[in-house]
This record gives sequence, structure tokens and C-alpha cells, in this order.
Amino acid sequence: MKERNEMNEAAAVEDIEAVEARGAEELETPLDRNVRLMSPTRMVLRRFFRSKLSVVGLIMLLAVFLFCFVGPLIWTQWGEIEVDDTPMVEYSTKTYEYTLDGKTHTVYQVIEKIEKENALAPMSAEHPLGTDKTGYDVLARLMYGGQISLMIGFLSVFIITLLGVILGGIAGYFGGIVDNVIMRICDVLMCIPGFPIMLVFGTVLTAFGELENPNAIQALMGDSRYRIYFLMAFLTLFSWPGTARLVRGQILSLREQEYMVAAEAMGYSTARKIFKHLVPNVMPQLIVSMTLSLGSMILYEASLSFLNMGVQPPYAAWGTMINAASDLNILENYINIWAPPGICIVIAVLGFNFVGDGLRDALDPKSRR
Amino acid sequence: MLKYILKRLLLSVLILFGVSLILFILIQNMPSSFAENKINEMNAGGAIVDQATKDAIMEMYDMSYGEWLRRIVTLDFGESFTQSMPVLDVIKRDMFVSFLVAAIATIFEFMIAIPLGITAATHQYSFRDYFVTVLVMIGISLPAFFFGQVLKGVFAVELGWLPSSGLGDATQSATGIAYVLEYVRYLVLPIATVVILSIGGRMRMTRTNMLEVLNSDYIRTARAKGLKERVVIYKHAFRNTMIPLVTSLAGLLPSLFSGAIITEQIFDLPGIGNTAYKAMIVGDVPVIMGYNMFLALLSIIGVLLADLMYAVVDPRVKLK
Repeated sequence: MKERNEMNEAAAVEDIEAVEARGAEELETPLDRNVRLMSPTRMVLRRFFRSKLSVVGLIMLLAVFLFCFVGPLIWTQWGEIEVDDTPMVEYSTKTYEYTLDGKTHTVYQVIEKIEKENALAPMSAEHPLGTDKTGYDVLARLMYGGQISLMIGFLSVFIITLLGVILGGIAGYFGGIVDNVIMRICDVLMCIPGFPIMLVFGTVLTAFGELENPNAIQALMGDSRYRIYFLMAFLTLFSWPGTARLVRGQILSLREQEYMVAAEAMGYSTARKIFKHLVPNVMPQLIVSMTLSLGSMILYEASLSFLNMGVQPPYAAWGTMINAASDLNILENYINIWAPPGICIVIAVLGFNFVGDGLRDALDPKSRR
Repeated sequence: MLKYILKRLLLSVLILFGVSLILFILIQNMPSSFAENKINEMNAGGAIVDQATKDAIMEMYDMSYGEWLRRIVTLDFGESFTQSMPVLDVIKRDMFVSFLVAAIATIFEFMIAIPLGITAATHQYSFRDYFVTVLVMIGISLPAFFFGQVLKGVFAVELGWLPSSGLGDATQSATGIAYVLEYVRYLVLPIATVVILSIGGRMRMTRTNMLEVLNSDYIRTARAKGLKERVVIYKHAFRNTMIPLVTSLAGLLPSLFSGAIITEQIFDLPGIGNTAYKAMIVGDVPVIMGYNMFLALLSIIGVLLADLMYAVVDPRVKLK
């Protein structure tokens, strides 16, 4: 018993010595080397990557991007609007039997049916996802259609954010009449039934496309390839109020802070105060709302294309491809044509939603996980 | 309060004015031959557009903004080009099916989303929370037209349990309960589509609010008093979670009547969204104008109601 106590005592003494020695060492090294410092960005990244859902979302987005933008470089056999016109030959045989002079003769008739193009082909090595009604390769169109959808999403979110930041920033900073005017415009735009009006605009574009002798602008706007850009540009005109309200609200509270008084005292220009000192502080919320609206913009574009208002055949978009399923025969027998674009949309939108959600949690200074 | 409502009503007039101007500019830019051609196409082989409709189309395109405004104020949207009946009657006729689908779907949505949101919040960061969140996020990310097609493909075409489209034979033979059952069979798939796609938003809203309330001081007090967890959650916390839910319910009111364009289009329901979509395809201007003004009016009422509800439900809110 006593022995053990002594041993413990010895251990304790040793411990104290070690601690003292370390303490002396620590006193010599400056404090900031002792404590692990993390920049806010690193903290946010750490919180972001700790959540499994955000990582899954990031991987999903990466996969979709690689598929759409790198895929066509690898899968070069077929283009977006390249019809597989290898004649499809179908052989079928008919058998006739007849008896002549007591002997039974069998005659085989071989019927050769030649289709001009290889339409509605099943999945094969040549067409991993088959071909559609016109004979386009589904896999290739999936890639090109994805490019359009993603590009449209990014473009429109960029423009919406730009408009929202500028107008919201001005409204929040100046207040008074300017604020009132901009906010009333926001109210009007927010009450406009967005989707139906987009359909009306889409019909106008269709009408332009069917004119016999359109002028240059009408021809460009009615073109089946470019009309979606005009449509989405029109959509951005209605969609900035959300962002503008967010920015304005944030700036209203930020402009009362001490550092803004300091900026005032330094004699900075108004533009510098707004865009260099106020807007960066709104960035966290902006990034989250941008990520989430990327998903909804992709859905929006796909819905328009599905209703034949957006990207039109022969060009591909995910929504346009799913539209093929309104034919009951294709809905029932050719899942390989309409299911893959749907799955792609879900993966892309889900990816943006997961990442957006993860970013929101990671950027929230109150969250301590 | 009264002053606030008056101010809002004046603003509503301004908003309606803005919407009508945008619609007018859009329609004026549509080539006038379009509607005529499309209607001819629609009646392919049959009768071509008669003189009365032609005149109506010309009149519509030659209209000045003043005249258009006069028509809106007097609620006279003219006669549909394709259906030979006044636009208001078209809207009245098709609203019922849309309302039925939306109302039932909203009830289901709340019944499913609120309990899910509460369990996710009370078990934050547990497996249950993640599971519900992931499921619900998938629901948000599904495009209506894709999910609708999948449901149609599986339950209508593959399994043959439910009719795939229309409201078809429902009105013909059956009567009484059989009639109602037949009617319901046609509505199951559209309602399921709407419900599954909309649960997500509502559930996340419930979860966020519930979390906020659960972190507040009075909940800690309630727990410290030794109340049962069930009482704490359902009696103390849930009541305050209801505030934004009730408010959003008022905001939902307009969407009950406006119809779901894509869902109705996929299942070919004779609802108002479907009618409006078809009108847009053929350039039936009176119906397009009437429908869009109707929607704008509904959404203004919705926003106003939501704000008023907020003051009614939450005594701390003062309107000014």
C-alpha cells in the first residue's frame, strides 16, 4: 500500500515538473502560435465539409458538370442533332406449306423491311441509351441539353443577383423616396403571376418564329435555339425583387454600425461605401440564396421547355426530352428516352439544394457545430 | 389599422395597373395573324374561322390601352375566340375542378408536413431528422412534369389501377356514391403529384420555426418546471410555431383557385390551368388576359390577407 502511494507521488512530481517545463516553453513562444487560429473562411469550410449532405451535394454537382461539359468530348460518335440514318433493316419470315403430287413443300418468304432512320432503337453499345423518335442519340442529347440548362441557370442567377444587389443596395443606403419607389416597383413585380406571363411571352416568341417575313429582331427572338435566352432574360426582370429585398434589409441594419461611421469620416465615396463596405457583408446570405435559386432556375427552364415554350426541337433540353413521354407509347415502352433527363434534373437541383442548405448552416455565425 | 388597409388597397390598384400594362404590351407585340392561323389549324379540315371571330380578333389587336383598361374595370373581358362564351363564364366553369384538387392537396400537405417537421425538429441531427430532410429535399427537387409522368406511367399505364387522364367517363353512368368514387379515382394521381411536391417547403418551414421556438427561454422554463416533454412540445412550443403556418395559409388562398398548369396539363384535367395553357397555345387573347388579371387579383388578395392574418395571430405585431 505504502509503496504504491510513493509511486503515485513520484509520478505526480514528475508530472508537475513536465508541466512546469512546458509552461516555461509556452511563455517564450508567442500566444498566437500556441492557439490554433482559423480564418473565418476556413471555419466556414470546415463546418461545410463536416456535414455529409453538403459533401454529397457537391459530388452530385461535380458529376453533373463533368457529364455535361466533359462528356461530349468523350462521347463523340453522335452530335446533338445528328440523326442516326443507318437504315434499320428488319427481317421477318413467313412460312407457306402446300402439297403437290403427294409431297409437302415448304416455302419460306423472307420479308425485308427497311426503315430510313434508326429511330426508337433499344439500348446498345452504339447507343447506350437508345435513340428517340427522330433517331437522335439520347445520351448525346442528354449532355448537350444539360449544358443549356446549367448555362441558363447560371446566367439568369447572375443577372438577378446583379440587379438585386444594385437596386437593393441603392434603396437600402439612400432610403427615403428612392427606397420607396424601388420597393413599390418590387411590390408590383412580386404580384405578377410569373409563370403564366412567361407562357404568354413564349407564345409571342412562337408567333415571331412563324411569321412569313419577320424583321431581324423578330427572327432572332423566334429562333428555336435562342428564344430560351430571351425568355430567361424576361424572367430575370421579374425575379430580382427577392434579392433586392434581402440586400436592402441587411444594409438597413448595417449602415448604422460604427465602421460605417468610420467610413464616412474617411471621406469615402458613396459607391465605395456601398459596394466595398456594405455589400461584402451581405455576401453570406447572397451566396446561399444564389445557390438555392440556381436549383429553382433549372426547374423553371425545364418546365418551360416541357411545355414547348423554351428550347424547341430539334435542339435538346432536359425538359424538352421529357416532353416525349406525353406520347403514351413512349411513356410505356421507352423509359430509356424520358427517364434519364428527369433523373439528371433531380440530381442537379438536389445537388444545388444540398449545397445551399449546407452553406446556410456553415455561414450562420450562430451555429456552433 | 383602417389606414393601413386603405394604403394597401391603393397599392393594390397600382399593382393591377402595372400587370395590365405589361400584359397589354406583350399582346400588342403578337402578330395578329397568329391567332387566326392557330385556330384554323385547330379546326384542321373543318370550318375555318368565321367572320364574327375574325372581327373579334381584329378588334382585340386594334384596341387602345384606354379601352383595355375600361374593359378591365367593368370586368368585361370579351368572348373567347375558341369557345364562344364569355371569358368570365369560362373561368367560372373550370375553376371548380382546380379548386377541388388544390383544396384536398392543401389539406393533405398540412396533415403530412407538420408532424414530419415537428419530429425532425425535436430529434435535430438524429437519423430521423436526416432521413426526413433528405426525402423532403428530393420532393422539392422533383420537377412536376417528370414526377407526374412517373406516377402516370406506374399507376395508370403499367399497373392500370387508376385512369391516366381526363375526368372522362365520370359524369356519364354512375350516380350517388359510385359517382363520387369514380370522380375521386380520376383525381388521385394529380392530387398525389401536387402533395408530394409541396410537402417539402411546408415541412422545412415547420422545422425551422419549431427549432427557433424550442431554443427560446420560455421553453427552458417549461422544462425546468418539470412539465412532460409532450406538453412542452405540443402545448407550449407548437402554438408559437403555428404563427407563420397560419399566415402562410392565408397566402395560399389564391393558389386554391388559380389551378396548376403543369399538373393539369399532364393529367389532362379540365381545370382552369389547362384551359389557360390551351388558350395561350392558340393565342386566344381574351382568355389569356382574363386569366392573368384573375391571377394578379388573387395574389394581391393573398398578400394582403397574409399580412392581416399576421396581426390577428400574433398580438405583438402592429400594422402601420
